[in-house]
Amino acid sequence: MNQQEGYADDIVKGFVIWSMVWGLVAVLVGVFISFQIAFPQLNFPPYLTYGRLRPIHTNAGIFGWGIGSFMAFFIYITQRLTRTSLWSPGLAKVQLWLFNVVIALAAVTLAMGMNRSKEYAELEWPVASLVVVLWVIFAVNIIMTIVKRREEQMYISLWYILATLVGVAVLYLVNNASIPVSLTKSYSAYAGANDANVQWWYGHNAVAMVLTTPPLAIFYYFLPKATGVPIYSHRMGVIAFWSLIFMYLWTGAHHLLWTPVPDWVQTLAMAFSVMLIAPSWAAVFNGYFSMNGQWHQMRENYLVKFLIFGITFYGMQTLQGPSQAVRTFSAFIHYTDWVPGHVHMGTLGWVSLVLFAAIYYTIPRIYHTEIYSVGLANVHFWLVLTGQLIFSITMWIAGVQQAAMLNATNPDGSLHYSFIETMVELYPYWHMRALGGVIYLAGLLVFLYNIYQTIAGAKTQAVAQRA
Amino acid sequence: MDSASIYYLGVTLILFLVFAAIVARTYSRKYREKGEAPKFRMMDDDKPSDENKGGRDVRRK
Repeated sequence: MNQQEGYADDIVKGFVIWSMVWGLVAVLVGVFISFQIAFPQLNFPPYLTYGRLRPIHTNAGIFGWGIGSFMAFFIYITQRLTRTSLWSPGLAKVQLWLFNVVIALAAVTLAMGMNRSKEYAELEWPVASLVVVLWVIFAVNIIMTIVKRREEQMYISLWYILATLVGVAVLYLVNNASIPVSLTKSYSAYAGANDANVQWWYGHNAVAMVLTTPPLAIFYYFLPKATGVPIYSHRMGVIAFWSLIFMYLWTGAHHLLWTPVPDWVQTLAMAFSVMLIAPSWAAVFNGYFSMNGQWHQMRENYLVKFLIFGITFYGMQTLQGPSQAVRTFSAFIHYTDWVPGHVHMGTLGWVSLVLFAAIYYTIPRIYHTEIYSVGLANVHFWLVLTGQLIFSITMWIAGVQQAAMLNATNPDGSLHYSFIETMVELYPYWHMRALGGVIYLAGLLVFLYNIYQTIAGAKTQAVAQRA
Repeated sequence: MDSASIYYLGVTLILFLVFAAIVARTYSRKYREKGEAPKFRMMDDDKPSDENKGGRDVRRK
């Protein structure tokens, strides 16, 4: 525990470092599978095939990098916003160990082909059960810290943190309900359209409760810290929070348009998805209005660059998402490369940019030092921004072209292009996608080097001071 | 209209009323200052002290 401030920051260090390790794994695997798409001969069965590496990529990215960082910052933020120390630092250490065990087990079991075939819920029941234990430990520790808080009124970040803890628990338990038939195989407790509906209720709300509410909690905390100016409106943040929570959980079925799921369920999901623009953009406006009189910091403060570009990508993402939930547009772009373009704008552009800023802000403070190089942080920013834009834009163009070709028909109603003809046209885009990934990876390596040198410098300073 | 539809409609109306109540309270004139206070207090939470602590000590209640 950091005795100076009374906060348990050692555990934050552990989570930040391990989340960066898993983030590197996610991007390395991501770049490799992007090359596998462009060069199929890079598939080496059975373990190093696209089919097995792709869920490892998503699990390492969303759960290793994403959840790992969120655990770090929830612990960091909650203590400070409640002005009290963590309820149980010992339990948090158990959580860190269990987190790494779970992610490592996930990588091994997925590589071995053990897979429930549910998007973002691939882990077989023994590993999924460990995830439940992990989440309960995490949730109890954070909730108990909030319960013993020394602040009556909760800052908006705490509301988002609580929503994440409760939301993920409910989603995970319902979607993972299954019947085990052996140690390595289970079958979903639901069947047919019900199974699909539950899966996408979970799938889309994993985006809500893992990739939206935690980065918003972090954004609302670190933007004012980085600029030195409070957010524009706390009350607007509260209303945006509640409207987001009321609406988000109804939208999952927009992944099931044009399926046997009842029509009213599809329409309801579509309507709520479009309405979701309001609370999402309330957060975006809150971020922009917070910059009133502070826009010069975009040039002078590298943290602000990461955060404001992050919230801008969130804004773009939350316009693109609802438009994709409209039936006609969904029919056009579903099952095309548009979708990975959309997803990566969220993960690389929104979630990761905010997390990079939070790590840059936090590491020097918990190690009591300065960042090693602001210049390198700027290089990192431009590399990941360029990589992400190349990736997303090429995939959007590829997606529209692919959709147009798949929908083109002859006067007699037959398809104008065969499926293989559409594939051949996509190769140049896939090469660009791999290039975007390499540039993003280069940015990530610069980031890791900068953080490594910062920590190493802090340790050297501490040794010198003791001597 | 069957009972399931009435149930769904009822739940929707209740949720809407809860949300409307949250909006009304948050944007009431009486709540204005209190509602904006946390954004100022969080600015100095890295250096906790009795002076800038703010709020009440929930633990001692």
